[in-house]
Amino acid sequence: MQISIKNLYKNYQLNGLEVPAIRGIDLTIKKGEFSAIAGPSGSGKTTLLNIIGGLDRPTAGEIRVGNDDLNKLNQKELSDLRLHRIGFIFQAYNLIPVLTALENVEYVLLLQGVLKEERTTRSTRILEEVGLGEYINRFPKELSGGQQQRVAVARAIVSEPEIILADEPTANLDQKTGALLLDLMHDLNHKKNITFLFSTHDQMVMEKARRLVYLTDGTSNSDTFRGHGHFKDNKIKKKSKKKSN
Amino acid sequence: MKFLLTISLRNLLRQKRRNIFLGSAMAFGVMILITANSFSHGVSDIMFNKLIVYMTGHVGITFNEGTGRRIPIFRDKERILKVIQNNIKKDEIADVDEAIGMFCRAIGNGKADNVVVVGIDMSKQVSEELEKEYMESFNVVEGSYDDLARDDIENPVLLSRQKAESLNVKRNDVIRIRFQNVYGQDMAARAVVVGLMANDNLFMQGVLFVELKNIKKMMGYRPQECGNIQIILKNPVRDAVKTADRLHEALNPGPAFIAGTVRGAAKAGVTILPFMADNDSKRIMRESFKLASGRLDDVLAKDGVMIGRRLAGLIGAYPGSKISISFKPRFADKDASFTCKVNGIFTGPPDEEEKLIYMHESLFYKYFYSNLPDIIKDKDKAYIPPDDSPFSKALGTEWVLLDRTATTDDATKKEAQIAKKKIKAMTMDVNTMYETASDVLKLEGVLNLVTLIAVLILFFIIVLGVINTLRMSIRERTREIGTIRAIGMQKRDVRSIFILETVSLTFFASICGVVLAFIVMELLSLIKFNVVDNPMGILLLNQRLHFLPTISGIIFNILFIILIAAATAYFPSRRAAAMSAADALRHYE
Ligand SMILES: Nc1ncnc2c1ncn2[C@@H]1O[C@H](COP(=O)(O)OP(=O)(O)O)[C@@H](O)[C@H]1O
Ligand SMILES: [Mg+2]
Repeated sequence: MQISIKNLYKNYQLNGLEVPAIRGIDLTIKKGEFSAIAGPSGSGKTTLLNIIGGLDRPTAGEIRVGNDDLNKLNQKELSDLRLHRIGFIFQAYNLIPVLTALENVEYVLLLQGVLKEERTTRSTRILEEVGLGEYINRFPKELSGGQQQRVAVARAIVSEPEIILADEPTANLDQKTGALLLDLMHDLNHKKNITFLFSTHDQMVMEKARRLVYLTDGTSNSDTFRGHGHFKDNKIKKKSKKKSN
Repeated sequence: MKFLLTISLRNLLRQKRRNIFLGSAMAFGVMILITANSFSHGVSDIMFNKLIVYMTGHVGITFNEGTGRRIPIFRDKERILKVIQNNIKKDEIADVDEAIGMFCRAIGNGKADNVVVVGIDMSKQVSEELEKEYMESFNVVEGSYDDLARDDIENPVLLSRQKAESLNVKRNDVIRIRFQNVYGQDMAARAVVVGLMANDNLFMQGVLFVELKNIKKMMGYRPQECGNIQIILKNPVRDAVKTADRLHEALNPGPAFIAGTVRGAAKAGVTILPFMADNDSKRIMRESFKLASGRLDDVLAKDGVMIGRRLAGLIGAYPGSKISISFKPRFADKDASFTCKVNGIFTGPPDEEEKLIYMHESLFYKYFYSNLPDIIKDKDKAYIPPDDSPFSKALGTEWVLLDRTATTDDATKKEAQIAKKKIKAMTMDVNTMYETASDVLKLEGVLNLVTLIAVLILFFIIVLGVINTLRMSIRERTREIGTIRAIGMQKRDVRSIFILETVSLTFFASICGVVLAFIVMELLSLIKFNVVDNPMGILLLNQRLHFLPTISGIIFNILFIILIAAATAYFPSRRAAAMSAADALRHYE
């Protein structure tokens, strides 16, 4: 399932002013990619991921996830899309504080309507997979940042989505933990053929990504592919900067 | 659902202080509501089932005989009881009483006091429940309640310890009482104290109780006669008006007549009919009467009768002559008889000329009531002009049934009108507590107000508390809302989470509130109020506040409160759910 974005614009309203966050992006993400969107703070990474995940709607342009034109889906259908086909990972982990690690993971399956027994076994297995087998009954505040983000990864993959969108997943972690997390995600990408798209301004993450899309001021000004650890140069797409008003 | 509930409960615990605060406020409100409700219900219970029962009954039938002194008497007790029996379902009626009481001067041992003597019917079978209630309210501490029924003691009497003190009497002492009987004659009687009551009920403290048949005898009632009737219903609020209306319909009077024998020079069977003395009836008589002899003004006078021409011929009567009439009363073996003057002789259809005597009502009812004829048995014997006869509108009935009224004000107005009419026949009125005890019932309104205020307090606590608490929770948990929306939760479910949280809090608070209310009620009813001369004393039962919580009331209240809370929570929760997920995720505090 691929993501295709054509001529995407997003403006925000702030105190009556139009704030352009994305200014004309064309991008295609193929199934199984392990790609990063990089760029300085405020360049529109989060906005782009939110739009891909159907959490936000573009001001103009086309966005397709698989066969679905997101502009044509209503809120309920977007929720279902996220529930079944997209997983989210956030910079601040965003676990539900009143639920244990296991319950946090189970929650997604509950929303999917999976029965109790299966919920528990699947969630436990996934948590073991991400190396948290001993911590399943701990509450988020009893876990370290790295462990919490692993729970978040488990929560994202337990529903067996096709795409995982991770918004600066390592930004709150130290170098070593971040690297381990990235290895875990890379592993999952490899094993389960889940598409990973993360935003980052972490050099290490950029290095580990197979493809690096660079955003500045809401447009991509470089798109680099790397195969098997080698750089594979691609032409720099430069769009004429249209001011959408 | 269970999972959502778990989340709700854990979330409630998360902001413990805030939720405990809101929960306590709710519990407090519930406590007030339940307490107020139970109190209100308790007072209603006192009013309907205790006070009104003793004062006026739920439905009353009152009688007034005589124009000067109005005598509360009905001459055929059995008949009235049968009407009651036939018109009220057995399972709706709790008791039927004769309300007989009188003001007396009582003289004890060197001390005298004014008292009210009230009759209790010991002969009648009452339900065990009611019996128990009676025993409780009498609370005889010395002597025995059952001794009231003894006939080897002269007028056994039961009185409160307070009264016994003020009369300086003990058990077995004799009290002399002086009173007027129903006919206005001064009487005296002796009564023997058979028991003392330790009674907190203000009403009962000034009362001397004697067996009904004794007081009736003292007051001049014959055994077949009865005083005003009080009916106690099982469900007065539901049935009182309906029952009164039904009785009213059944008590429609028939024509009044005396069927007897008239003696002049010879004797003949005769029917004596009363014509009414009000202006309308007199006009009818004037216009329709054909006199053979005598003057019309004499004819309508009170002192004599008009007799049909044939009948006059038969017995040799003429204007100015005396005739004697005798008849068989219903409740006597001997014939009753009286004489009267012939004022005029009328002509008319043969039957009327031969069989009728018209008598002024003020004369007629004197004979009629004092020796009630057997109306039902005599009906065939009597001749009564057909309904289309011009006279039938001017003829008197067995009694005059007053119109039903709804309120005390209407009843008072009605009474004033009746007084002006100078009705000579006995008047009969069927009334309910809404007319006779409306002052007491007004209290209900006050109590409902108290409950309403409690509801309002609670309402504000809930509305302000819930909105405020939810707003804070939602603000604090905005990012969490964004997260659960991101992992695929529908808006509707987000809304449910917050509503569920509020509902669970309200539910627990309500349970605590109910427990609290029971504790408060228990404590409040420990207090003993010593109000002897305060009218609010009637709101007390045995000098204590009377709370009567009901399961249905409590359940209703809890559901009501939960409903308000859920409705209040709905709007902030909907706002939370409608928030843009992307914005919510960017929310940092
Ligand atoms: N809800 C919003 N209202 C107004 N401006 C916004 C909103 N969200 C993002 N922006 C603006 O859009 C631009 C892109 O933001 P974002 O996508 O968060 O960038 P990044 O994730 O790369 O740091 C920024 O200038 C930001 O201030
Ligand atoms: Mg960002």
